[in-house]
Amino acid sequence: MTRLGLRLGALVGIGLVALAHVGSPDTYFEGAAGPYPVRVVVRNPGVVPGLAQITVRLLAPHAVRRVLVLPVFWDPRTAAPPPADVATPVPGDSTLYSAALWLMSSGSYSVRVTIEGAAGTGTTLVPVLAVATRRLALDKPLGAALLALGAFLCAGALTIVGAAVRESGLEPGAEPDRGRTRRSRIAILLGALVLAFALIGGRAWWNAVDAAYRSGLYRPLHATAAVQASAAASVLHFTIDDSSWANRQRQWTPLIPDHGHLMHLFLVRARSLDGFAHLHPLPLDSATFETALPPLPAGPYRVYADIVHESGFTETLVATAEIGSPATAWRPSDPDDAWLSGNVKREKGNVVPLADGSTMTWERADTPFVVDQDAPLRFTVTGPDGKPAALEPYMGMAAHAMITRDDGAVFVHLHPAGTISVTAQETFVVRQPGDTVQGELSKRLAAMEMASGDRKAVAAGEVSFPYAFPQPGHYRIWVQVRHSGRIETGVFDVDVRAAR
Amino acid sequence: MRGAATLAAPPAARLPWYVAATLVAATSAKVGIIWDISWHRSIGRDTFWTPAHAAIYLGGVLAGLACGWLVLRTSFAGTTEQRAATVGFWGFRGPLGAWVCIWGAFAMITSAPLDNWWHNAYGLDVKVLSPPHVILALGIWAIQLGSLFLVLSLQNRSPAQQAPRLYGLLAAYVVGILLQNAATIGIEQVGFPNVAHNAVYYQVAAGALPILLVAAGRAVRLRWPATTAALVYMAFSLVMIWILQLAPATPKLAPVFNPVTHMVPPPFPLLLVVPAVAIDLLMQRVGPGRDWRLAALVGLAFLAAFFVTQWFFTEFLLSPHSHTFLFGVDHWDYSSRPGPWRYRFWRAETDPVTPRALAIAAVLAVVSARLGLWWGNWMTRLRR
Repeated sequence: MTRLGLRLGALVGIGLVALAHVGSPDTYFEGAAGPYPVRVVVRNPGVVPGLAQITVRLLAPHAVRRVLVLPVFWDPRTAAPPPADVATPVPGDSTLYSAALWLMSSGSYSVRVTIEGAAGTGTTLVPVLAVATRRLALDKPLGAALLALGAFLCAGALTIVGAAVRESGLEPGAEPDRGRTRRSRIAILLGALVLAFALIGGRAWWNAVDAAYRSGLYRPLHATAAVQASAAASVLHFTIDDSSWANRQRQWTPLIPDHGHLMHLFLVRARSLDGFAHLHPLPLDSATFETALPPLPAGPYRVYADIVHESGFTETLVATAEIGSPATAWRPSDPDDAWLSGNVKREKGNVVPLADGSTMTWERADTPFVVDQDAPLRFTVTGPDGKPAALEPYMGMAAHAMITRDDGAVFVHLHPAGTISVTAQETFVVRQPGDTVQGELSKRLAAMEMASGDRKAVAAGEVSFPYAFPQPGHYRIWVQVRHSGRIETGVFDVDVRAAR
Repeated sequence: MRGAATLAAPPAARLPWYVAATLVAATSAKVGIIWDISWHRSIGRDTFWTPAHAAIYLGGVLAGLACGWLVLRTSFAGTTEQRAATVGFWGFRGPLGAWVCIWGAFAMITSAPLDNWWHNAYGLDVKVLSPPHVILALGIWAIQLGSLFLVLSLQNRSPAQQAPRLYGLLAAYVVGILLQNAATIGIEQVGFPNVAHNAVYYQVAAGALPILLVAAGRAVRLRWPATTAALVYMAFSLVMIWILQLAPATPKLAPVFNPVTHMVPPPFPLLLVVPAVAIDLLMQRVGPGRDWRLAALVGLAFLAAFFVTQWFFTEFLLSPHSHTFLFGVDHWDYSSRPGPWRYRFWRAETDPVTPRALAIAAVLAVVSARLGLWWGNWMTRLRR
């Protein structure tokens, strides 16, 4: 295998731990539950059925009576949901509430968060994916303790069998004769044989359960990417070649557009991270997508494709692509496409220049970033005149942030609403009992989209993203905003420490 | 010396404290199991600290501590007479039943951390039948068997014609609990009346039940031992059915297709008293020494009586006449979708009762009865 092959193989391996994002299984949401602005964090249990921990933080001072959470697995035949759980206040933090969510089936849940308080009752829906993502290892102390107990049980059982044959039938005080002692030894031998078979059977059973569980671990749909270069232009073909997707009897629901696009595709130049593109391929058929490739520098690229199913299930498909000599001309397939290349300055600093002369500043203190702790991802954009820049919605969002660890083990696409797909959230809002015909829901969504238009207002010059880094390491962040009709990308680096 | 007299030859129906403790433990574990199954069918969601789990583990802790204390005391501070009625275990002395109880308690203790890890690794109770649950079930069986051995050793040390009736009744009581275990494990095959017109129903019953009834018939010194054990089994079920129906419950896991309002009771018990009477009558007439012939007779009699009783009685249980508090039928899990299937015999086409199926059941019943006689014979010799 060539070095390139090895490298691409390692990159494909990343897909095995991917979820709706890659290597970042927890859900972060920021939005309004009626009159109450909230930040909701759901920690993925990694196993289904399992318990996910949910925290709800009130972002504005309000008198709150109760916070209720309810995970709903949508099924048109369900009679009634169970009662919601009351989230309990976290001691020492008057604005934080927490509860455990019972996620019993693999798939797409909407978690209904209800706030009851002085300002009335407010509700919001947070899409959460329940999928098994990891297999817990049996740690050594527990394994050793279980082994010791198991050995004691086996030895004890054989001792009891021996004692039962040797002595239990004797009158009190009588001593066992040689015949009884011999029979007792035979019984122990037979017992050991039975026990050995039972242990071998038990081991086979455990291994079978383990193998079945491993085969059920979530993997995103398999996909491949290929670049077709011609004198005029380079084109990227992205193909979902997973057999479960091609199968007509498939369980998958169709794809639905997420802020106007069926697929959001990101290219990140492997290792150096100095080539980046955010593209929106057009579908050629249900499995193949195509996009014009911007003149990115040559090299191996990681390809991430965000898709949303009608069920509300979101996935990030992972592939790799080798880009040859950069394309000489580029006509974007979609006006929302954007790219960036060149040796980005990696010096420390919170202020980066944008292409149009304005600047983007990461409003961060000097406190270190720690795994699983709220990361202050707040950015301000200042125009060339020194005033806060007037930002315009970019695909319905105030901003987009793409975060990757340098080795590609983490890739996440964030909005000010968090890690969730707003479209997935809307699918839960517009769902009706009896929605069993595929495609009906996306029609309703499209009608809703038409009616509302590009409605998101953007605060002048400021965007923020709720998130916590999932793993330690060196990360790069691309923040994209629209300003004066142009898509501007600010690039930042950060080191994240392990939690102690 | 008083203690020695207790262990060696109880003059009257005196129940040693450790035997009473194991009887309470056996009962507690069984109540806990039935409660826990009802919990999963009614509420769905649980933690380690549910009262049902507490009842199960109380059984383990009580039996383990009582018997542990007994063997320590007997080993280090026991009189010669006390030590005489015990068996050896790695230098320690204690009655066989106590060692079986202690083993059961350790098995239950082992299953707890393994089960916890299992839930974290493979999901919360994905399947009822899992390796940690099997270890827990073995522990519970051991505690109940240990309790039976303790009672029987008391009975057997009494003079043949003077064994206090209490020991016989308590031994039959524990066999009744063991019958409950069999019914619980076989809930899918022999639990619901809807499966009573399937071949597997009679085959499972024929394989699992005669062994217990016949062993009781041989080892328990009562005039109607199998009948008493069967009555205990039925009474245990009925009491649980009546109590559980009174307790309010709300499902707490989606999807809820059947909005239950009270704890779902276990299915109505099998009318085991009918075949048990047949077993007792036969065993009264055919004494020890002709066990092969007896096994054949008892096995066939069990199957005939069980078949006729259950075939027709389950038709009643599926009719509207049985939908009362007394019978406690037609209660279904919160996750089941209500439909006409509730009042029908299931799989009547795919698993019908044929002469061949009944012949297989008859063979199983005879084998089960023969095993019961061997086991019963061994238990009649139990002295320590």
